[in-house]
Amino acid sequence: MSGLVDMNLNALLAVSPLADVTLYHYLVVSAAMFSLGIIGFLTRRNMIIMFLCTELMFQGVGLALIAFGRRWMDHSGEVFVIFVLTIAAAEAALALALVVLLYRKKGSLDAQAWAQLRG
Amino acid sequence: MTEKLALLHPEIVLFITATIVMVLGLSRRVAVRKSCAAITGLGLLIAAWLAWDSPMMTGMFPGLLPYGKTVVVVISLLILPLLTGVVDQDYESDVAKGEKFDPLRSMRGEFYSFFLFSVIGVLLCVSADDLIWLFLALELTSLPTYVMVATSSKRLRAQEAGVKYFFLGALGAAIFLYGFAMLYGATGTTNIPEIAQSLTVNGISPIATLGVVLAIVGVSFKIAAAPMHFYTPDVYQGAASPVAAYLAFAPKAAGFFALMHILSTVGWTHGADGTALPADIRVVLWVMAALTMTVGNVLALLQSSVKRLLAYSSIAHSGYMLTGLLVGPALIAQSVTPESVAAQNGLAAMLFYLFTYGVMTVGVFAVISCLETRTPRNTEIELDSIEDLKGLCRRQPVLGWALVLCSLSLLGMPPLLGFFGKLFLFTSVIAAHEYVLVVVMAINAAIGAVYYLRLALGPLVDEPNEFRPRARLIVSYPRKVTAVVSAVGVVALVLWTTPIQFASNNATLTPGSDEGGAPLAIESVVTGKRSGGPEITDNSLLPVHNPE
Repeated sequence: MSGLVDMNLNALLAVSPLADVTLYHYLVVSAAMFSLGIIGFLTRRNMIIMFLCTELMFQGVGLALIAFGRRWMDHSGEVFVIFVLTIAAAEAALALALVVLLYRKKGSLDAQAWAQLRG
Repeated sequence: MTEKLALLHPEIVLFITATIVMVLGLSRRVAVRKSCAAITGLGLLIAAWLAWDSPMMTGMFPGLLPYGKTVVVVISLLILPLLTGVVDQDYESDVAKGEKFDPLRSMRGEFYSFFLFSVIGVLLCVSADDLIWLFLALELTSLPTYVMVATSSKRLRAQEAGVKYFFLGALGAAIFLYGFAMLYGATGTTNIPEIAQSLTVNGISPIATLGVVLAIVGVSFKIAAAPMHFYTPDVYQGAASPVAAYLAFAPKAAGFFALMHILSTVGWTHGADGTALPADIRVVLWVMAALTMTVGNVLALLQSSVKRLLAYSSIAHSGYMLTGLLVGPALIAQSVTPESVAAQNGLAAMLFYLFTYGVMTVGVFAVISCLETRTPRNTEIELDSIEDLKGLCRRQPVLGWALVLCSLSLLGMPPLLGFFGKLFLFTSVIAAHEYVLVVVMAINAAIGAVYYLRLALGPLVDEPNEFRPRARLIVSYPRKVTAVVSAVGVVALVLWTTPIQFASNNATLTPGSDEGGAPLAIESVVTGKRSGGPEITDNSLLPVHNPE
């Protein structure tokens, strides 16, 4: 039964437009996501956008992990991604709490509104 | 399964303690709420005892557990009295005035359990043998500290510091995570010993090098090293001093243990004589170490706030410790004595330095956190300008002398503990023939002397500064205890440098030298530490390079 499913899947993959997608393509997309995340993080000053940029970086890494897992036919990559998602969720909770804190004190989401610490 | 659990006994105890404390912090009775710190201390004591008895693990550094975990728990125990009274000051006084209990305003339980969770994270970093585990452990170390910083004080500065710390922390995490993904992609496994084996057999591909470099750069956030050190002064200044003391030690320890594990995947088996890191990774670490210590020391000269000064000093010390990582475990010729092997072992020197740095820096932060006064509205004001410290030895002899001893030790003054930390690092770097790096280190130590002497001589020599409002110190007995214990430790632990050095040396034992010898090594370290003078003469107990 499972052999049949695999055969069907392979037949499907052979005709699908995804047949030509290789590890290389996944890695390029993942590197692009990661780089966009870093660029956005460094250039934008809105807290929410900055946080989304870190999320983008995490998800870019996740994509690379899954692609590598497929490349090695190994489940560690997928397991890793699940843990990464967990951490990303924890960070999201923390980030939103801190952003709400900022907004209550300053009424602004601009990271530069908080510039007491200089020296 | 049970063997794996035995590696985690200290963490399990701390986890149970954290859960208990979290619940007790919500009790309606003041006495129960106030017992949180004591229970945390009890948990840490039990964890310290269990950490000392940790078994060998299967990994790149089988003997790392007892030394690494004991150091982390002992320094955390030293920091714990500092943390008392950081949160809930005004809340408890409101309750004492007869206000109703409000569970939403009580933060004490959460604060201590976050502290414990973070310590658990550091302990897990010590025993990590898998990239997934290492990633989770590093994040478990950092996530609670963001909350600790943001809630450590009512001042806006603390929350600003918390936000800054969080965002840069997330950036660092993403970068080292990308590095881990590349390492996984290059080898097809997340298990660190298997990665090391794969890299030895198949050679180190460019993608693996990229992975290791990204991981180092990402983790440099945790250890406050260049290129990710920018946040350090702001965060240390914004956070309450006790929390800053914790930040100066715990994430740094976690980062260095993580770096040990990450670098062990490529191994110190390259270079001309087979005792160096691969050339490109070596260059990255070299530049990072030199840059970190120079930036830290030069910018520390310009500071007038003691907390910012300590932050830059913390950066500089990370730079020193990175040189130990660069050198790696020593190659042993059969003829040499154990002493000279220990003196050549860069990793052992780094671990030894981590311990001494923890004792010294916590001592200075303890003195600073005693120098607090309060506004009429009960917000604390920290007196952290160097001017405020003038004449401290006359006004507060105990605190003053603790500050003098700890800062002289940070400087590396010969009879004190800090000197031995620097000594072992210097000897190991010289043994690895990194002469330029030694010169850079020596110049940096000289620059560091300027500001550490300023920190030590102000309290000792100068008259109390009459222009500043006289510091009405908050009499915090526990914090004073930490300052005194650190100062005593800086002096007294000098007598035990040899056993500690042997312990750190055994902690860097690599697999291959462990047939029959290694458990004995741990045993002798334990007994040596307890009786005060071990004689380890068997060469088989010392780390041996095993390039198989």
